[in-house]
Amino acid sequence: MIFLRLYLSFLKIGFSSFGGMTMIPIINDEVLRYGWMTSAQVMDIVAIAEMTPGSLGINAATFAGMQIAGLAGACCATLGVMTPSLTLCLAAVVCIERLRGSWWLEAALKAIRPVSFGMLLSVVVTMSAVFVDQSHIMWNRVLISVLVLFAMKKWSLSAPKAIVLSVVLGLVMGV
Amino acid sequence: MKEKKGKPGIIFLIMFRTGCFTYGGGWSIFAQLEEEFGEKRGWLSKEELLDIMSLARSFPGIMVINMSVMFGYKVCGVPGALAAAFGLSMPAFIVISMVTCCYEVLMRNQMVARAMTGVRCSIVPIMIMAAARMKNNALGGRITYVFAAASLLLCLFSGMNKLVMILAAGALGMVIWRGKKKPPEEADT
Repeated sequence: MIFLRLYLSFLKIGFSSFGGMTMIPIINDEVLRYGWMTSAQVMDIVAIAEMTPGSLGINAATFAGMQIAGLAGACCATLGVMTPSLTLCLAAVVCIERLRGSWWLEAALKAIRPVSFGMLLSVVVTMSAVFVDQSHIMWNRVLISVLVLFAMKKWSLSAPKAIVLSVVLGLVMGV
Repeated sequence: MKEKKGKPGIIFLIMFRTGCFTYGGGWSIFAQLEEEFGEKRGWLSKEELLDIMSLARSFPGIMVINMSVMFGYKVCGVPGALAAAFGLSMPAFIVISMVTCCYEVLMRNQMVARAMTGVRCSIVPIMIMAAARMKNNALGGRITYVFAAASLLLCLFSGMNKLVMILAAGALGMVIWRGKKKPPEEADT
């Protein structure tokens, strides 16, 4: 039954993904195996996921499910891809809460926090690739970022408002 | 007995709104969740936020859903977790369901392309601001700076698996700060 298959396939995709882009090869395998979509369509999914709000995983699942079996398909696929989070992660956070205050957990976290912070910084660096197009700096884009940063500091803009501002700037300035 | 800080309904609405702006991957969403749950409402401390981030990154599954589940749980138990996860996914689900029929047209539209590039440019400032707010909670003594620097370099220049990095850090942390009953802020290393 297609719905169950969709759920299970995306469940598998959910479990084997460790970060946005790493899902793509796995999604590719699954949809090609069942002949649900072509590789070109998988690339479309990635492009759409870029354009629309939402993470790659959810967007991909909804899109694929929709293409394959309409709205019900979209629901099954999306639920499938969310299941690992709703089960494993939920179990993990329940356990962690119980262990709060134990010295070894706090000691481990004291080391893990700066490591996560370092990861955040590294993403800032790699995201800066948006400013460069074939070793040619795109000053328009840099300007937009600088303006947005300035606006966020000066007027304490929240992230959603910053995004709206950047859309307006993008439309106006042309990038 | 955990005192409940927010109702599932409110959590759902907050996450729904956040879900409308989830661009640029997990970290920019983290920045927004930090604004909503940390800065604005004080439901979670900065340490808790960072801890959730580390876990969300390490566990299998979609990082942002992992984050939502954990944020939601901490604020309002299992109902909170579910409200958060579904709240975050709804906008994406709705938009994609509507867009699948005409995505080819959308993808070629000039205005859309400009708007999207604009969005991409906002990710860097958003994350810089989040990093600035988190800095004092992530970093304390000298050793933590070493951890952060090592992490930054490893992420940029090696393909080291992030989960391995986090586990290794955890293990090292247990060794370095073993048996310290005092809250980490006071233990000066």
